[in-house]
Amino acid sequence: MRLYAGGYLAFYLPQQKNSIEMRLNAPTLLKDILVNLQIPIEEVHLVALNGEQADVETAILHDTDVLRIFSSVNGG
Amino acid sequence: MYGTTAKILRVNLNTGAIEIETLSEDFYRLYPGGKALAGYILLNELPPHTDPFSPDNVIVFANGLLTGAPVSTATRYVVSARSPLTGGYGESEAGGFWGPELKMAGFEAIVIKGRASTPVYLWIKNGVAEIRPAEHLWGRMTAEVQETIRAELNDDKIRVLQNGIAGENLVRFAGITNDLRHFNGRNGLGAVMGSKNLRAIAVRGTQKYQTLAQEPETLMELGRKLAKAVRENPLSWDLQQRGTPGLVEPLNTGGILPTRNFRQGAFEGVDDIKWEAYEKELLTARRSCYACAVRCKREVNVNGQPSPYGGPEYETVGAFGPNCGVSDLQAIAKANELCNAYMLDSISAGATIAFAMECFEHGLIGLDDTGGLDLRFGNAEAMLTILEQIARREGFGNLLAEGSLRAAEKIGSDAKFFAIQVKGQELAMHEPRGKYNVGMGYAISEIGADHLVVAHDPAFANPDSIQFKSAVPLGITVAQPPRLLNAEKMKHFYILEKWGSLEKVIGYCFFGPAPRSFIPVEDILTSVNAATGWNLSVDDALQIGERATNMARIFNLREGFSRKDDTLPERIFQGLENGPLQGLGLPREDFEQALTILYELKGWSPETGVPTRERLEALSLGWAAEMMPAETSK
Repeated sequence: MRLYAGGYLAFYLPQQKNSIEMRLNAPTLLKDILVNLQIPIEEVHLVALNGEQADVETAILHDTDVLRIFSSVNGG
Repeated sequence: MYGTTAKILRVNLNTGAIEIETLSEDFYRLYPGGKALAGYILLNELPPHTDPFSPDNVIVFANGLLTGAPVSTATRYVVSARSPLTGGYGESEAGGFWGPELKMAGFEAIVIKGRASTPVYLWIKNGVAEIRPAEHLWGRMTAEVQETIRAELNDDKIRVLQNGIAGENLVRFAGITNDLRHFNGRNGLGAVMGSKNLRAIAVRGTQKYQTLAQEPETLMELGRKLAKAVRENPLSWDLQQRGTPGLVEPLNTGGILPTRNFRQGAFEGVDDIKWEAYEKELLTARRSCYACAVRCKREVNVNGQPSPYGGPEYETVGAFGPNCGVSDLQAIAKANELCNAYMLDSISAGATIAFAMECFEHGLIGLDDTGGLDLRFGNAEAMLTILEQIARREGFGNLLAEGSLRAAEKIGSDAKFFAIQVKGQELAMHEPRGKYNVGMGYAISEIGADHLVVAHDPAFANPDSIQFKSAVPLGITVAQPPRLLNAEKMKHFYILEKWGSLEKVIGYCFFGPAPRSFIPVEDILTSVNAATGWNLSVDDALQIGERATNMARIFNLREGFSRKDDTLPERIFQGLENGPLQGLGLPREDFEQALTILYELKGWSPETGVPTRERLEALSLGWAAEMMPAETSK
C-alpha cells in the first residue's frame, strides 16, 4: 500500500517524506495505520482511497491500495 | 514613543514639494500603521468620487507597526488609494524587503498626491527624499528598471518598489512589485502609480528596528524562538517545504479547485500541475522575506532558464492553470513571469482571461473580436498572447485590460454571468461553494473579492486540530463545518476578520500568526507590547482591527456602495459541474440570513450595512460618522 500525505501531514511521516510504502498482510483500518504512524487523526481533513473520497473513521485498506491523505489547507 | 519612527513622508507630484510629518502617540495608538493608517489618511484627505486616475487620487504606502522587526513574517506594508478596478477603497499588501527598508530609512508611510508632468521616481535614503527623472525607465520591464536604478544610484542594496508597463498603460488590475518577487497585486494600484507618472520608489535605510523598540531584547528573543518554531510546527513547516503550490492537490481532491472559470471544482490535468510536478519541473531554490524563517517563496526555472521573478504562487497556478483549463506547467510559469515583468495582478489577469475563454466558447465573442486568437479553455499559447496584449493594451487585450466586469458590460448579452467578480474584482482561486466563510469574505470585503479576509473554514472544522485550538484565545470555541452558514459561523467570521485586519495594521503576513499559521496569539501581543511598551490585550487588538475595517467601510459607503454590493457572483449560488461537490451551490437564502447576522454583530444596519453611530463611537470613530452620506448616517 502506498500512502501520500498532502497539506501539512507529510510533517508526521518518517523523515518527513511525501509518501511511504507499507506492506499490509490483511485488510486494516485506516485509523489503525494513522495511530501506528503517529499521524494525529484530528489533523486528517480529507482521504482519497484509490481516487475516491473515503471516511477516515471507517476506511479499510488493502495491500494494493493507493491512499492520499490531506490536512486542511488555507489560502494565502 | 516606541516601536515607530512616527514619520510620514508627503510628496506632491504637482509641485515637487516634499514634507515630513510627525505623528503623535495618541494618534498612533488608534491608527498604528498599515491598513489603519492608510484608511485614516484616505478618509480624511481624498474627496469622495475622485476619479482614480485623477491627480487628486491619493496613494498611500504604509508600513505595519512591526514591519521590519526581527520577528518572522513581520514584513508587510499596505498600498492604498481609490481603486480603478472597484471604484471603492483600494488596498493591497506585500511582504519582501521594501517595507522594512522604508522603516530603516526613517518612515512609516509615504503619501503621494498629484501627477508629475513627466515620468519620475522617488529616491529615499535615510530620511532624505528626492524626485528623480524616469523617462529612461518608462516602457521597460521591471527587471530592467530595478537594475537601472541600482546602477545609477550605485548601490545594489537599494530596494525598488515599482509598477510596470501595465501600470503605465492604466490596466485596471496592474499591480506593484518590490524586489521583483513580492507583489501588491490586487485592486489596480499599479495603475494609480502610472496615472501619477510615478514609476518607482527606491529606498535605502540603515537604522535598525531594535533601536525603536522599548524592549529590544524581548523582541530579539521572540524572534529567535519563532525562527526555531517554524520547523517544529506542521503549518509553517509545510509552507517552507512546498509553499502555496502545495494547495493544488488537496483542493482538487476536495472538489474545490476553481476550474474553467469556476464552472467546475475538479481538474483532470491536476497531476501535471500539483506540487510534485512543480518541484520536479520548476523549483530551483527557496527564498524568504526580510528576517523570516518560513521561507515560503520559490525560485524557479522557466523553460529551463532561471527566472528573475520568483516562482508562481498557488493563486497564479490556479488562475492560469485549472481556471483557464491549462495543464502545461511551463506555460503557467511563463504567465507568472509575464505578469511580473509587466506587473499585472496574476489573479485578476488569469480570471479575466478565463472569463474571455468562457465568452468565446459560448459565442459571445469570436475570432473577429479576438484578432484571430482561438481563446478556448486549455489553449495555453492563446492565453500567453492575450496576456501580453492586456499589459500593452493592444488588440482584444485593450478590452480585457478593463477587468472582467467592465469587459462584460461592453460585450453585453449574458457575458456578465461569466464575470466571476465582486465589486469589480475577480475572485481569487478559492472556491466559496466548499468554504462558505471564504464566500462571505469575498462578498463583504471592502476591496472586492478577497481571499485573505478570514482564515479559511476547514481550519475550524475539528475542535481537536492544531488550528482550531490556536484560535481559542481569540474567542472561537465551537467547531463548525466548512459548508454551513449560521450564527456561530458568523461569530467565527466576525472575530477572524478583526484579527486579519489587525495583521494588516501591524504588518504581519497571513502566513505568520495563528490560526492560519504558527505564531500563537499571545506571541503576537508580546511582539506589539515589546515594541511599543503598550499593554495590548486580545480585545484591544481586535478593536484595532475592527476600527480599520470600519474606516474602509465608510470610504465605500461614501462612494455609494451598500448592502446590495455585498454579494457573490450568480454562478456561486448554482451547482458545481463536477467533482465531489457536483451539483452543490452556496444556498442563497442562508447567505442572506448570515449576512444580516454578521451586520448585527458588526454594529451595522441590517438593511443598509451602514455602521451605527453608537458602534463608531465605541471604536473612537465618531468623527467618521459625519463623513457618511446624510441619508445613511442616521
